[in-house]
Amino acid sequence: MLLAGTRVLAAPAPDRAAALVRGLARPAPARTAYIEVRFIGMLDRPLVLRGEMAWLGGTRLTRSVVSPYPETTTIDGDSATLQRGSGAPRHFTLDHAPELKDLLGGFVALLSGNAAALQKTFTLHAYGNSAAWTLDLAPRSAAVAQRIRDISIDGAGTAMRCMRVDQADGDTSFTLLGALGDAPLPAAPTPAALATLCAGGH
Amino acid sequence: MSARAALLAGWLLALAALGGYAVTHLRVSGDLRAFLPAPRTPLQSLLLHELGQGAGARTLILAIRTPDAARGAALSTGLRRRLAASGAFASVQNGGGGLAQIAPGLLPYRYLLAPTLDHHRFDAAYLHEQLEQRLDDLGSPGASLLKPLLPADPTLETLKLAEAWAPRAAPPLRHGVWYADGAALLLLETRATGFDPNAQARVVADIERAYAALPDHAQARLQISGPGYFGVVVQTLTRNTAERIGWLSALGLLALLLLAYRDVRAVLLAALPLASAAAAGAAVLTLVYGQVHGLTLAFGVTLLGVAQEYPLRLLSHRRADTDPRDTARLLGPVLLLAMTSTAVAYLAFFAAGVAGLAQLALFTLCGILAAGSSTRWLLPALLPRTQRDAGRSAALARLARAVSRWPHARTLALLLGAAALPVIALTSAPWWQNDLSTLTPVPLPLLRQETELRQALGAPGVRYLLVIEGTSAQQVLTRSALAAPAFAPLLRDGALDSLLLPSTYLPPITVQRARQARLPDRAQLHAALAQALVGLPYRAGVFAPFQRDVQLARALPPLTPQAFERTPLGGVLRALLVQRDGRWFGLGLVGGVRDAAALARAAAATHGAVRLVDLKVQSEAWIAGYRAHILRALAGAGALLALLVVLGLRRLRPALRVLAAVLLAQLLTLAALRVLAGPLNLFHLVALLLGAGLGLHYALFFERARGADAAERLRTLHATLVCAASTLLAFGLYALAPLPVLHALGLTVALGIAANLLAALLLTWPRGETPC
Repeated sequence: MLLAGTRVLAAPAPDRAAALVRGLARPAPARTAYIEVRFIGMLDRPLVLRGEMAWLGGTRLTRSVVSPYPETTTIDGDSATLQRGSGAPRHFTLDHAPELKDLLGGFVALLSGNAAALQKTFTLHAYGNSAAWTLDLAPRSAAVAQRIRDISIDGAGTAMRCMRVDQADGDTSFTLLGALGDAPLPAAPTPAALATLCAGGH
Repeated sequence: MSARAALLAGWLLALAALGGYAVTHLRVSGDLRAFLPAPRTPLQSLLLHELGQGAGARTLILAIRTPDAARGAALSTGLRRRLAASGAFASVQNGGGGLAQIAPGLLPYRYLLAPTLDHHRFDAAYLHEQLEQRLDDLGSPGASLLKPLLPADPTLETLKLAEAWAPRAAPPLRHGVWYADGAALLLLETRATGFDPNAQARVVADIERAYAALPDHAQARLQISGPGYFGVVVQTLTRNTAERIGWLSALGLLALLLLAYRDVRAVLLAALPLASAAAAGAAVLTLVYGQVHGLTLAFGVTLLGVAQEYPLRLLSHRRADTDPRDTARLLGPVLLLAMTSTAVAYLAFFAAGVAGLAQLALFTLCGILAAGSSTRWLLPALLPRTQRDAGRSAALARLARAVSRWPHARTLALLLGAAALPVIALTSAPWWQNDLSTLTPVPLPLLRQETELRQALGAPGVRYLLVIEGTSAQQVLTRSALAAPAFAPLLRDGALDSLLLPSTYLPPITVQRARQARLPDRAQLHAALAQALVGLPYRAGVFAPFQRDVQLARALPPLTPQAFERTPLGGVLRALLVQRDGRWFGLGLVGGVRDAAALARAAAATHGAVRLVDLKVQSEAWIAGYRAHILRALAGAGALLALLVVLGLRRLRPALRVLAAVLLAQLLTLAALRVLAGPLNLFHLVALLLGAGLGLHYALFFERARGADAAERLRTLHATLVCAASTLLAFGLYALAPLPVLHALGLTVALGIAANLLAALLLTWPRGETPC
């Protein structure tokens, strides 16, 4: 694994990022626990959600929230269904929110290691070495760029640790995956602390 | 220029002038409703209006078929832009637009329009529960959609309104437009009425042109569906078939007449009286009415089949080396009697009180008089002398002898008549075909596709309509709001896909005021919000826009229909809330009716506030009413005809013979129709009328032959056979057409000719020796 990573990072820049993404591929269904921390401007403390993310193959993705409340979102291509608690499922389309569509589509592309699909919507840059790398995704569409400033993914080898989304309105979210997704979180997480955690520091 | 050439030139000029006048001034309407009896109540007037002009009838559905959703979306968006700019449509929807559907002008009214305040108050408990839910929303993947709404609308009233106003069963969106089953869908509402095939044809052409101008349009396939489009398809189909058959029968007719008379000039000249009939009829209609329904014109031209007889009779009765004017003089009395009795019988139609029937009568009456008079006084001067004389034909003589020797003719006639009666009475088929749709043969695949598309779009159907009547717009809105809960279970259980009531868009002022009264004042809301926010992580002051908007809504004057109609959604309300003859009507558009009985029960449960109208039943009742008018007119026409024949023949026995022949022929035709065609429609009735006119002529001329010499009898037989054969050629071919309208016409006329010929031969053809 270490060898493979070294070879990846030795390639020219765009190919390096593409090879990195291809290395992330997992056979469907691929499941991973996550912790999502959202820093939202209108709230004075972050929202912390824990649950499981699963890529079911194709363009199907589920995002289950276990705490603080049960909620499951199923995404299939352009349409999504949200089920919260025992309420009636709500259907909505991602067409009204191109940034959401690109974000979720990007997630599916990452989990399936589909570099070509990812490159359609984002410009990719890879930094670091195989032990600790950062993949930067810049939205190609101007409409999406108005909402999402930047996405960066931290990882090690062929595993993602963390995904950070910076929105244009100043809101930021961190999604901690894999081993980090199961780990306990600081009592009062701050963006700076989470960024350090994602980068591999403690 | 000889006198004859001058006469011909004058006649042709007059024809051109009359025809030109009619063509340039007569407006032919395709609106079927002009053919229905005049409405008597405001409700009838409204339904008549809805039948052609309602949202259902004006709806067209477009499907852009392509497996590539992105391409479908691009084409859908391009087409929508072009069609919306064309001005031919009241609305063009393709699913695009999304939440922006709520016009900014209506936003301040959200607390008055949405039902939230009917059940809740903006107190601390409710607001706390709502703000907790919003917190969960902020953690969901769709948070970015809601985030901008929250500061001003934490209870999401705008989303509730958008949901209530959006088509309930809308298809899924792909790339921003409706896309289902491999097709991008568009829902159009034309400005043109649904029953105006000419206007709809222009609309369809506009759509096809707009589509063809789009880049990459060849990569997908455009399908059009809807009542208006069907009207266009059926009209084109009927016209094409009628034209094809028309050309075929015209050629056959020409060949037949050339064979019968061996004289090109005479045959061409014989067309002039028929042309005069059409030109005169149309010109008089133009002068009196200015506008005529296409169906009246088609019926009228059919009935002019009688007029075709006059010139042919004149040609057949010519003798060798005799001036045709002498022939005309000899034929004069019977020609006059035939012409006036047929024409005058149509006067009965004026009493029917239906504009379409009066027009039909006027057209036919004038046409027959023009054809008869021109045959009597103009045509003879133009006809060349002939060397041929039908009276000398050996073949005809043999035929006449055979017919004359027919044994027990009268007994046979009596038996036939007696046999026809039980057939007519006992055939199990229903008497009348009231369903208009059986006359408009929309190809079945098109109908199936229409059902599927309407269901996919949750578009209102054309058959059922809920009607709320009241003395004012507010009364109708109030009744609509009170009745709405009665239909909620149907929507929930799937008996109904969608229901749009006027109060769905605009609650009555009383309801708006009640909601307004429940809005807290500044201090109350401030306190409630402060309490609701305890323990929640919202920053201080985030909901200041909400507090401001609630105070604004407290001071708003309630929204009136007039004010609502000025907003972009106004067109929808205008279609649902209409004033007619001083009464106000609210319409409920229902879509995807799966259980009509449940719908009827729900309507009945409103105790008369909401009535369910089945437009199919309604239009069938109108057709039945129209037919009753025709039948009454027919009875009157029969009485007038009998009177004129008795007066014209001056003796009772010949008159009875003639009338008996006509009656027998009608009975035989009717019996044959009952067996072959089953339920009868309007086209059968009109064709029966033509048959009666023809039969009268056969009987009258045969009756005249009783007093004539052997040669004149042969000429009469010749004339009658040529007339029968030519009418059979002109109409009989329609019987082979697959289209119900043409088939009904052709079959009835063909049967009628056979029956009339038989009846006239049995009852009025001279038997025994010539008088001299």
